[in-house]
Amino acid sequence: MLKVTCGLVGRLMRRIAWATGTMLIAGVALPVQAETLTIALSSSVNTLDPTQAQVVGTDVSVAAHLYSSLVARNADSKLVGVLAEKWYPEGDSTWVFDLKAGVTFADGEPLDASVVKWNIDRIRNPETKSRNRAWFDPVSGVEVVSPTQIKIHTKGAYPTLPDQLSMIFFLSPKWMESHNPANEVYGTGEFKLKEFVAGDRLVLVRNEAYKGAASPFDSVVFKIVPEPAARVAAISTGEADLAFDIPLEEVERLKGGGKTNAGWVASSRSMVVRMNTAKPPFSDNVKLRQAVNYAIDKQAIVDGLLGGLGTVSNCQIMTPAYFGYNADLKPYPYDPEKAKQLIAESGLVSGTQIELQVPMGRYFMASEISQVVAAQLQEVGLDAVIREYDFSSWVQPYSRGEMGAMSLMGQAWPTLDADGQLGLYASQNPTAYFKNADYDAALKAGRATNDPKDRLVHYKQATEIMCREAPVIFLFAQPFTYATSARIEWKARGDDWIRAADVVLK
Amino acid sequence: MSRYFLIRIGQSLLAIWGIVTIVFVVTRMLGDPAVLLLPLGTPDSQIQELRSSLGLERPMVVQYLDFLGHAVVGDFGLSYQSFRPAMEVVLERMPATAILTASSLALGAVLGAATGFAAALARGRFLEFVVMCFALAGQATPVFWLGILLVLFFAVELGWFPTGGWDGPASLVLPTMALGIFVAANITRLFRSSMIETLSEDYIRTARAKGLMPRTIFMVHAARNALIPVVTMLALLAAELLGGSAVTETVFSWPGVGRLLVQAIDSKDFPVIQAGVFLIATIFVCINFLVDLLYTLLDPRIRLGR
Repeated sequence: MLKVTCGLVGRLMRRIAWATGTMLIAGVALPVQAETLTIALSSSVNTLDPTQAQVVGTDVSVAAHLYSSLVARNADSKLVGVLAEKWYPEGDSTWVFDLKAGVTFADGEPLDASVVKWNIDRIRNPETKSRNRAWFDPVSGVEVVSPTQIKIHTKGAYPTLPDQLSMIFFLSPKWMESHNPANEVYGTGEFKLKEFVAGDRLVLVRNEAYKGAASPFDSVVFKIVPEPAARVAAISTGEADLAFDIPLEEVERLKGGGKTNAGWVASSRSMVVRMNTAKPPFSDNVKLRQAVNYAIDKQAIVDGLLGGLGTVSNCQIMTPAYFGYNADLKPYPYDPEKAKQLIAESGLVSGTQIELQVPMGRYFMASEISQVVAAQLQEVGLDAVIREYDFSSWVQPYSRGEMGAMSLMGQAWPTLDADGQLGLYASQNPTAYFKNADYDAALKAGRATNDPKDRLVHYKQATEIMCREAPVIFLFAQPFTYATSARIEWKARGDDWIRAADVVLK
Repeated sequence: MSRYFLIRIGQSLLAIWGIVTIVFVVTRMLGDPAVLLLPLGTPDSQIQELRSSLGLERPMVVQYLDFLGHAVVGDFGLSYQSFRPAMEVVLERMPATAILTASSLALGAVLGAATGFAAALARGRFLEFVVMCFALAGQATPVFWLGILLVLFFAVELGWFPTGGWDGPASLVLPTMALGIFVAANITRLFRSSMIETLSEDYIRTARAKGLMPRTIFMVHAARNALIPVVTMLALLAAELLGGSAVTETVFSWPGVGRLLVQAIDSKDFPVIQAGVFLIATIFVCINFLVDLLYTLLDPRIRLGR
């Protein structure tokens, strides 16, 4: 019923939107003075405490404006130094960071090597209860060499440590003695917090003490706009300059608006249909797993459902943005005949019901995609049955290792590194649903060295194994849609990071 | 009389306790928040650690007694998401909800009373039909749909008001209209039928027989008495709206309690859910209590009946 209403309302909305589209008027023009950038976030900012921030698209991105990290990933997915001048591995169990001199907090307290150590040790300390402690599990110690040099020692190699450190921000030890970072902000970032209206907006103003390149914006406002139609409206009136997760049908309209612009970028999240290879019918049955890959017309889903916004995965769960992407792999072609043949060879008892679980409210068009997948599986003679779950009730059994036969989901890893993303399928992971000794060995070898060339060799092998063994149906990279006002340009990126630094004022 | 109020207070406390208890049990049935709070791929040992630091590994009874012990002094624990006291997290969203409630009730009450009165007077005429059609449509229209239309028309096309957010009086107009129309529709229908009923009472006939002016009869004798159920309805709507209208708040990016609670349920932020429900239940019970009081003032029959 709800769905019917939504569809109806959606159609009506589009009509009205179309009718009004030509009559859009510009937002109230502000007197030329301070430049303000207004960014509409799709969900609430939960905490200001940077040591507890986890969600890149909200909390972590906001923290990155207020605090400094050692390194940051910029829009073309390269790491650049923020506090760090340069960084390099020393042997296989140490990372050296040379810090920029002269960075200070507002009261003149220097942000030097000892402060960096204090912060990392604080996160590693179980007493702090930082939710991000797991990232530092491989770290064995932090050594201050000089005020501008720090060595991070690791148990064995930790090739992705610099990437992980792009999400770690530094607090002042002195300030922390008498303040709570969950309520207040005291950082060394480009901006300072001026106003925080819970659930509505954060107003940031330029931090005069910041020594790096000056932002063209004197002020950055993050507005929380949870409803997609409201984000479209805010962009249309010029109330927001940048908004994300724009409904597909609105992207074209806003693109042609003249007053607005819109587009999409392949996100770092790969949509897959996972198969539980620990349970029949998919356990020990690589033919059946390959068959379902042949049975699905990935390109048709992208073209038909997503209006062409999306790129079919090349038989791996990584996009080219990831370190370790294998450019040699090609998608399983759509070949229902071959699928039928493989199913016959697989020895699947006909009439076996296969559950396709669909967690709702988390992944883009999950319901529609799963319906196409189920229909195409039925076409090759499989009895696929869709079961939709509320995300939080789906994730419980999933995280315990009790997923159904199949489940639609999206997977991404914030460091954009094969180690994390492919590690989701390492057999010691309770949610791997896949057990392959060669695959595990390749991942382990990839982690055992800090040498990128060497690592690539191992990930090439791991992705080949995963493609052949097919623990998932490889679908496509989820599109990440956005819209902007005409006065700015956004260097689009699909890794969820939202930074004022990626915005150019026209 | 005082005995009656003591009993009412006792009943109110019992109701709040009951609601809080039910919510406690239901949240525990939602499942384990620890899994949702940590990044994917966190080792099991750390998930276990977080669970025990949140006190969730203890037996339900122990958790419950601990929760009650703290709740009576207003301590609902720290929010799992924002690391701040849960009651504080809820209370800081209360002003937005309270303002929207007040403005939409005021609009709804005035509009609803006027149209309801008109419909009652125009009984059997075309005007009544028109008013009732609008009232019915107003009640049947989903608030979010109406909200989006209002935004498209008044904010996007005409540019008179902001599309959403909470920033000055202008941003209050559209959400007030959306909710106010819903409130008005309810009041119109209720007031109309209440008026019609009152007009058939014996004392109205007496008043007519006395030769009073129709205006006096309508305004003083009928409308005042017909307002009694409307007061109850307004109070109940107030209590409902103070609980936050998640849908309206979402459409207008309004930072109220309703949206907060939906988000808290989604992320299994138990302390915030509990603090929020406690607050809403308390408001609801208090308002009901006040309505009972008001009733005895408005209608002597109820006072004397006791």
